[in-house]
Amino acid sequence: MKRLFISAAILLLALPAAAAGQQEAGRQDAGQADAPESPRREFRYSLAVIDDATTYSKLTVPLPRNLNQLLLEPSLSFRYDNRWSFSSSLIGLADTYSGTSTGMRVKETYAGLSAGDFDFTVGRRMVRWGTGYAFTAAGVLDPPRDATNPTDRLNLNQGRDMVKADFVHGPHAVSLAWSTAALAPAHSGLHDTTAFRYNVLVHGFDASLIAGDDRGGDAFGAFTFTRVLGQAWEIHGESAWREQEALLLGAKYTTASGITFIAEFYTPPNIAYYRDMTLSPLAGRQHYLFLDAGKSRLRELPGWKEWDLGAYMVANLDDRSYTAAFDANRRFGNHFSAYLHLEIPGGGKTSEYGLTPYSAATSAGVRFQL
Amino acid sequence: MSKCMARTIIVILLIALALFTVYRGHAATPAAVDAEALLKRSDLYRNGWPSFVLRVKITNFESGKADEERLYEVSEKGTDKTYVEFMSPRDKGRHMLMLGDDMWVYLPDTSRPVRITPLERLTGDASSGDVARTNYAADYTPVYLRTEKVGSEDCHVLELTARRKGSTYQRVLYWLRASDARPVKAEFYLTSGKHIKSASFDEFATVAGKSQLRRMTLTDEIRHNSHSVLEYSGIAPRELPDKLFYQGRTDRF
Repeated sequence: MKRLFISAAILLLALPAAAAGQQEAGRQDAGQADAPESPRREFRYSLAVIDDATTYSKLTVPLPRNLNQLLLEPSLSFRYDNRWSFSSSLIGLADTYSGTSTGMRVKETYAGLSAGDFDFTVGRRMVRWGTGYAFTAAGVLDPPRDATNPTDRLNLNQGRDMVKADFVHGPHAVSLAWSTAALAPAHSGLHDTTAFRYNVLVHGFDASLIAGDDRGGDAFGAFTFTRVLGQAWEIHGESAWREQEALLLGAKYTTASGITFIAEFYTPPNIAYYRDMTLSPLAGRQHYLFLDAGKSRLRELPGWKEWDLGAYMVANLDDRSYTAAFDANRRFGNHFSAYLHLEIPGGGKTSEYGLTPYSAATSAGVRFQL
Repeated sequence: MSKCMARTIIVILLIALALFTVYRGHAATPAAVDAEALLKRSDLYRNGWPSFVLRVKITNFESGKADEERLYEVSEKGTDKTYVEFMSPRDKGRHMLMLGDDMWVYLPDTSRPVRITPLERLTGDASSGDVARTNYAADYTPVYLRTEKVGSEDCHVLELTARRKGSTYQRVLYWLRASDARPVKAEFYLTSGKHIKSASFDEFATVAGKSQLRRMTLTDEIRHNSHSVLEYSGIAPRELPDKLFYQGRTDRF
């Protein structure tokens, strides 16, 4: 089955890649001559293959200790004359746990039309309206944030199915989106959502106002911002109202040597929309802290230029539980990299992160990128 | 010596001194060179059109050996809008946008555009600032320092001081060929005064009737065994829509 995945992905990419080569050559020739510009065709593709093996230590539930996942992630985008576009990104997943299972997910597949100041999009796509790194209160159409996996390590997030119109003029942008939950997995808890966003860049503030309604659910409103201060600081925040207020405040600091620190404080109300499945409905408003430190390319250390190191921790300040994680990534040439990810939850047996059914999860993997 | 002759010699010396002073004043004082105009002229070697695209290939060398290659596609409009698409396999899906003093990076593995601080722009052998900010006249205030020879070329030396927070470096010493303001070499300094990098502008080529930079070398002055070669290709004027430079647009290639 794994071979079938690889063959299918290579076939999927080979044809458009060959076509792209021809288009690229044609484009360069056209660039050298001073001929009138003909409609421009642009094509991009990529393929990521990830093999990830995870071992769980001291499992408290009767589950296998080892999980192996093979992921194929082909992506392609085509744009015609800066007007029409089509983009697709798929995830083929084969995992071996108690048995072997395979599946295909559609991360994004959408078509776009650009006309003057307007952009129209139809299909499944990732929208990113929230400004938080580990949490979001305002990202009503965003993929779900998981503070214990803020970078979506294996790129498994999927977009929402939507029709979206954007009007962009100077620093102002207005977006209107309608998203259906008809194609979402049954357990996702998503509703049909109508959302509006106004975004503006003014005096260095990248600020947005968001409003909308979940069909059969709540109306909501939100404000987000990001701002760079001086040479080393970035601040960001979100304030959202959905039955009650949710608040996120965060900052990033970069040292002269390139080490980056991120801190976020997040307090959501304990309502169904925000509540984690491990949390009791009686627990009241929750308060979270996220801390991250990392440096990519340790070029100051001889022989460590290809290494990235990072560590982060998310803590529930109310029940004093936490999950700490450490990441190391090493690149080999232009196409390969290997990584180690260690995750350690802690806290009381009934706490949010203390409920995690293992004492540590260690993942090691290799990644090929074309 | 008669009094008359002595007086004549003094007068001649005074006249010679006055002529020398006037000559010095015209030939080498900062007032004689319009540093702003010189800098704007030199920018044209890297920004030939109001709106254009190009490709940059950066090869990093460690101890003289090439150890890494990266490819970027750059779209520039005006003096303060730059969009960079990362084309190397290891960076696929990444994009960078610069609007005036503000910069964002779009990473495929995070769920939002990430604001970049000025210090983050400096990381790497050739930093994002080296690729994205090439309009020095918009970023720096120039002061004419002197004229000196670099190899066989007579060069004007300008001292550039950051005039906006979006400038990549705090201070730049910039050598321009006296005959045509073509960049020859540069030294880049941090706010702390540390000399962080040097550049040599090695190769130029005529594109659509304009001389454009094709190759430059950046030398790391902190890690002396490291340098990067930036090769520019596919330079072409192109109409670019303003929408390309909107920070909230995430449906980029």
